[in-house]
Amino acid sequence: MSNQISFTFNGVTVQCEEGQSIAAAVINSGTLALRKTRFGEEPRSIFCGIGICFDCVVVVDGVANQRSCLITAKADMNIESGS
Amino acid sequence: MSDYGEGRYEYREWLMIIVIGAGPAGLAAAEAASRNGSEVALIDSASRLGGQYWRHRSQVSGYRSNRADLLFAKVRGAASITYISEATVWSIEREGELIRVNYLQGGSESSLTAEKLILATGAYDRSLPFPGWDQPGSMTPGAAQALLKGHGVLAGQSVVVAGTGPFLLPVATGLAEAGASVIGLYEAHSPMRWLLSPQALLLNVSKFAELIYYAGLIRKHRITPRFGRVVSRFDKGQVTISGVNSEFSLKKPSRTIEVDVVAVGWGFSPDLTLGGIAGCKERVDIDGTTVFAVDAQQLSSQKNIWIAGEATGIGGADLSLLEGEIAGLAASGQGISSQLRMARYRKQVFADALKRSYSVKDGWRSWAEKSTVVCRCEEVSLGEIEESVVELGAEDSRTAKLFTRAGMGLCQGRVCSRNVSEIVAGLTKCAVTDEERIASSNRPIAAPIALGLLGDGKK
Amino acid sequence: MQSPDAIVIGAGIVGASSALSLTNAGLKVLVIDRGAVSSGTTGAGEGNILVSDKDPGPELTLALRSRDLWFEMQEDVGDTFELEAKGGVVVARNEDGPLLKLAAEQSEHGVRIQKLDHASLHELEPYLHPEFHSGVFYPQDAQCQPMLAAAQVIRTVIARGGEFISQAKVTRIIVENGSVAGVETSQGIFRAPIIVNATGTWAGELAEMAGSHLPIAPRKGFILVTEPTKKYVFHKVYDSDYVSNVASSDADLQTSTVVEGTRSGTILIGASRERIGFDGSMNYEILRRLAAQATSLFPVLRDVQLLRAYRGFRPYAPDHLPVIGEDSKIRGLWHSAGHEGAGIGLAPGSAALITDAILGRESFMDGSPFSPHRFATVSL
Repeated sequence: MSNQISFTFNGVTVQCEEGQSIAAAVINSGTLALRKTRFGEEPRSIFCGIGICFDCVVVVDGVANQRSCLITAKADMNIESGS
Repeated sequence: MSDYGEGRYEYREWLMIIVIGAGPAGLAAAEAASRNGSEVALIDSASRLGGQYWRHRSQVSGYRSNRADLLFAKVRGAASITYISEATVWSIEREGELIRVNYLQGGSESSLTAEKLILATGAYDRSLPFPGWDQPGSMTPGAAQALLKGHGVLAGQSVVVAGTGPFLLPVATGLAEAGASVIGLYEAHSPMRWLLSPQALLLNVSKFAELIYYAGLIRKHRITPRFGRVVSRFDKGQVTISGVNSEFSLKKPSRTIEVDVVAVGWGFSPDLTLGGIAGCKERVDIDGTTVFAVDAQQLSSQKNIWIAGEATGIGGADLSLLEGEIAGLAASGQGISSQLRMARYRKQVFADALKRSYSVKDGWRSWAEKSTVVCRCEEVSLGEIEESVVELGAEDSRTAKLFTRAGMGLCQGRVCSRNVSEIVAGLTKCAVTDEERIASSNRPIAAPIALGLLGDGKK
Repeated sequence: MQSPDAIVIGAGIVGASSALSLTNAGLKVLVIDRGAVSSGTTGAGEGNILVSDKDPGPELTLALRSRDLWFEMQEDVGDTFELEAKGGVVVARNEDGPLLKLAAEQSEHGVRIQKLDHASLHELEPYLHPEFHSGVFYPQDAQCQPMLAAAQVIRTVIARGGEFISQAKVTRIIVENGSVAGVETSQGIFRAPIIVNATGTWAGELAEMAGSHLPIAPRKGFILVTEPTKKYVFHKVYDSDYVSNVASSDADLQTSTVVEGTRSGTILIGASRERIGFDGSMNYEILRRLAAQATSLFPVLRDVQLLRAYRGFRPYAPDHLPVIGEDSKIRGLWHSAGHEGAGIGLAPGSAALITDAILGRESFMDGSPFSPHRFATVSL
C-alpha cells in the first residue's frame, strides 16, 4: 500500500498517493478545473495528459507555468492556479 | 575542454550512442544496440520506462503487456545501457563530429555528447476543435489513459470515448475495466473502410487476435460502439453526438448525454521538434502528417542520426518495436536480418492501411463555431483566424499566426498548428503545401528552459 | 486595375507605408510581394519605433519625424496595431559618461530626454539590478505590432483604390530608354512609370535585376521570447552599449542587451548582430549569451523560462544609413530599403520622403544623405 501525502491546491488540502502527479491528485480529489486562462478567464483542466499541451499548468511553490500532469506531487507543496 | 560556468551546468562525455525516448521504439533500439556491448545512454523525460504506450505504475497491463516486461528486463539487465530518467532534452547541437544533447534534470542543465543519436520521441493525440473542446472534462483519449495507467486515477465516473482509430479501443476498455461507466464509444468512420486494405489484414493475421481481445472486453462491459458519429459539442457536462457523412460533415445531432468526461482523439501526431533541431529532412506522409524521411536502416538525412517509431510515420507499437530494433542494430554496426526487414514491411503495410482507413476528413472544419477556440494556449478563436485571412490577407498559417498569435503560446503550436494550416487552406481554397506543413514544426527550443540555466551554461 | 501610377515591390512595413503615402497623395498604387504581407524582416521585427538609439544626424531627424507619423498613421488607419508610446530606458552600470553625452546631444536635436539617478531609475524599473546607478528615459520611444501594422495599412490602401497581389515574384524589371516601365512577375506583367523597391534585405537583388547596384546585405539577429509572466519590465530597457553596437561594421558577432515586456505577457530579449549572409541556422551560444545579459539586468528573469527563439535578417548598407531615393542609373526606380534594425520606426518617415521626392515637392528634411547616388561608382 503506497504512502499517503498531502499538499495544498489553492489553499485547500489535497490527499494523494505518493507518486501521483499533481493533476491526477487534484482531479481524483473531485476538482476538475486546474486554472483559468489569462485573457478570457476560462476554466481549463487536463487535456493531453502527457505534457504536450500545457493546459494543465499551475504555479508550484511560486514557480509559474509548471505542467501538473508531469510533476509528481510532493508533501507540503503549495500549488496555485495562478492568473 | 571548455569552462561551463558555475557548476549548475554539468558536462559529461559519452562514447557511442544516445537514444532519446524510452517507449517501445527507444527501448528496442537501446536493447538492440547493447547486444554487441555498445555503450548506450537512454534518456527519457518520464520516471518510468515505457513511454506512452506502456505507461504504468507498478505493472504494464493490456494486450500482450508481457512484451513490455520482457523488454524492460532486457534493458535493465544490459550492462552497457545507462538509463537517464526524468531528463527533458531541450536542444541538440553538433560539435565537430560529435552530437551534444542538452537536457534539464532536477532543476539543472546537463549535457551528453556521443557519436550517434537515435530519436524515438513518439507521438501525441491529434485533436480537432469543436464547441466546448476546451472545457474541463474534455480531453484526449491519451489523457484519460495516462491518468489511469500512470496514476491510477479515473478522469471521471462516466465517459464518452470518440474520434477515430483503433486507439479508442484500449482506452474505452481500459476505463471500463477500471470501473468507469463508458456510456458511448463513437467512431467517426464506417467499419466497412477496412475493405479498402484487404492485403494489410492478410499480412497481419495476428491483428485479428487483437481485435477479438477487445471485442471480448467490449461485450463484457456492454459498451456499444457506434459508427459514423462524432462529438459535435460539449458544454458543462452535456455532450452532443452527431452523425457525420463520409467526409465528416455533420448530419443532424442524434443525442445529448450527460457525462463527466469526453475523451476525443483523431489519431496521432509525432513530435518532430528534436529531429527538426537536428536538421533532419522531413516529408509529408499519406495522411498529411509531417514525418521524417529515413532509409531502410532508419537513418535520417543527417549523418549519425537515426529515427525510429512514430516520427517516421504513425504505425503503433508493433512497428515502433521493429523500427527501433533496426535503428539500434544499424547504429551499433550490427547486421539486420531479412526476417526483421520483412516483419517491418508487413507492419508498414498495416500502418498505411490504418492511415487510409482512419483518415481525418476535411468536414471537421465545419464543426467549430466562430467563438470556438482554435489555439487553446493563446485563446484564439476560429472567428479571429477567419478575420486574419479574409480581412488582413493572411494566406498561410505562418502569417495567420503572426496576426493572431495562434501557435505562439506555451505549447508552441503542437496542438493547433496543423489545424490552423488546414483552416486557412479551407478559407483561401489553396491546399496546404508540404513546405508549410514542414515549416510549422520548426521549434529551436524543445522544452522551456529557465533563462538562468540557459545563461549559466554559456561558454 | 487599370495601369497603376506606381508599383511598390514589397509588402513589409516599408512597402506598406510607402503605398499608403502615395495613395493618400492621389496615386493609384499596386503593391506586389513574392510572398504574403509581412513575409520578410517585418515578420521578425519587435516593433521598435525608437529615437533613443540614434546619433544626431539625418537618421535621427528622420526617426523623429517618422515616430510622429506613426501616430498620424494610427489616426488615419485606426488603432489596430497596438501602437503604444511605451518609452525607452537606457541604463548604465558603470560608466555613464558616453550615455549622458549622447543624450545631451540628442536633446539639442529634438529628442525629449529625462536623466535618471539611481532612485528615479529604479522607480521606473523596480526589477532592474540595483547595480545600475543611472540612466536616461526617452518618452518618445514607442512600440507597435509590425505585422498587424503592415497588414492594416495594406488593407487601407486597398480600401482607397489600391491593389495588392501576393505570391508575385518579380522576374524582370522592364526598363525602356533608361526609365522604368513596369515589372514582369510570376503573376503577370504590370506596367507603371514609378516603381518603389521596398524589398528590404533583398533590395540589392532587385536592383541587380534592373541593371543597377545597391550594396545591401543581411545582418542576422536573434530574439528570445519567454513564457507569459508577471510584469517585470515596464519599458523598453537597453544597456547603454546598444548604441555603439548598431553603428559597428564588424563582421563578427556582436551582442547588446535589450529587454522589454509585451501586451501578451511575454518578455522579448535581444539583440545580436552577425554578418553571416542568409545562414538562418540556430546558434545556442548566442541564445545563452543573450539570456545571461538579460538576467544580468533583471535577476528576477533567472526563473522565467525561454519558450522560443527566432531570427531575422536586418537589411543594411555599409554606412548604416537607409537608402531612400531615385536610382542613380534608372529613372523612375525608387528605393526605400536598407533600414537595418530601424525599418519599423523609419517606415512612415521614409514613405513621406519618397512620396515628396516622387511628386517633386519639398519634404520635411533634405533626403540627400539617404540617396542611392552615394553608391554610384564614378565612371570616367
